[in-house]
Amino acid sequence: MTLSAKAFQRWLQGIAPDASTADVCRVSGIKRTTLAQQLVRGKVSVSTVVSISRAYRINPVTALAGFDAYSALAGPPRPPTRNELVSQISTADLLRALLARPAMDADRGAAAPALSPAPHATSVKNWVDAIDDGEVRHRVSASTGVAPQNYSAQLTANRLSPELAMATASAARVGPAGGLVATGVITEEEAGWPPGARQAALDSLSDGELTALAGDRLQALGKVLRRQEQDQAQTEKIWENLG
Amino acid sequence: MIETLQWTTLAICAFVAVARVPSTLRGENRSLFGIFAMMTLAILLSIQGPYLVIDQALGGINLANLLLRFVIFGAIYFMGIRISRGFGADGAYRHITGKTGMLVLLVISTVMVALFFSMDTAGSSAGLSAISAKDARHFALVEYYGAAGRAYPAYVALALVPALVGAARDRLPALVRTGAGLLALGGAAVALTLLFPVIPPELGQIEFIINYTAILCFVVGLALIWAARVVNGRSTARKRTSSET
Repeated sequence: MTLSAKAFQRWLQGIAPDASTADVCRVSGIKRTTLAQQLVRGKVSVSTVVSISRAYRINPVTALAGFDAYSALAGPPRPPTRNELVSQISTADLLRALLARPAMDADRGAAAPALSPAPHATSVKNWVDAIDDGEVRHRVSASTGVAPQNYSAQLTANRLSPELAMATASAARVGPAGGLVATGVITEEEAGWPPGARQAALDSLSDGELTALAGDRLQALGKVLRRQEQDQAQTEKIWENLG
Repeated sequence: MIETLQWTTLAICAFVAVARVPSTLRGENRSLFGIFAMMTLAILLSIQGPYLVIDQALGGINLANLLLRFVIFGAIYFMGIRISRGFGADGAYRHITGKTGMLVLLVISTVMVALFFSMDTAGSSAGLSAISAKDARHFALVEYYGAAGRAYPAYVALALVPALVGAARDRLPALVRTGAGLLALGGAAVALTLLFPVIPPELGQIEFIINYTAILCFVVGLALIWAARVVNGRSTARKRTSSET
């Protein structure tokens, strides 16, 4: 579900009444051909609106909220849950934090380095896992008509279209902007997540919780890596015989 | 149209065979060059003009046709070995190189040779059409001879298709999957040749199209898998140099 070109033009009129399309592209760093194509097709992508909003110093969430499909984003931002916050911490950062815990026999005063910004390599899947009550995938699939296997494939590839991200958030009854953060469309700050919220959530995890979570992440990572290795080995074998 | 298809296939196959020469000289999968070379020869022998020239040189009793059959058997046998090994199809590998496979090859070859020499094959004629037209007995013999010639490739193709279909749906590089898909399509086309006797004579062109589709799929499929390796080699080499600088 992209944004209609008509609504986009109206919105653009509102924020930059005198700017030509060329000006808009120059300021926002969007390729002219890309925007022209989107306008001709009548479908403007969410990332276009986000880039233009940033260029004109408007919060992209507020901008998107003006479009019908994203009206759920309107109003004061809903704070993310602790699970959501932790899901947006990369596995490497989680492991560093774990190693710095006293339970891991860390040196006194050893502090984990600052967290790298969201999103990370598995942020989309981790986000959905964090808000899933076991039925979320079914509800998303029912409300959007996207087949469950296509939905899973997107998660595995660490992708989720903005409309599916919105649908997932609403199906899980969490703040609407969380999925857009996890997919990297908008930043935590733009979504209204308090600064340091992820670090605070991480610090609030007990040693046991953090260790179990790191274990889950490692197990998932191990599966992915093993599968990649198997695929690689199979490909090598094909090439060895037929290359 | 048939002529164009034949010469195009010949050109593509010969081109790939020549392109394999450098890697063959380096000792990489020499049998692949053999496969492409044999396929090129087979196509050459299946085209009217070259067939007549070669057969005249062989004595004008259509020995070239028998040669064509065995060249096809050789190409499909080695292709079967490489493909079943490459795609880890151990079952198919056993079916082709094991006792059953050897027995099938032996029986079919014996029957084919026996049928060939029980015919009066004097007078070069591509596809043995002139021989077939001699009388009812020769018509039947040519049919059986043709069926025997199609049976072995179909046997190997049927053994390979399941593994190829599986590979085409696997998580492999896109070029490899496309290659596997084409090989599967070629295998299915070869298996389809078993049904030639039920195709009415007025639709004879379909037989040509199926034959050449099979060859094209095999050649292009194998070439794509090879191309995927070349592409991959280049990108890893580039990665290595960029990380060194």
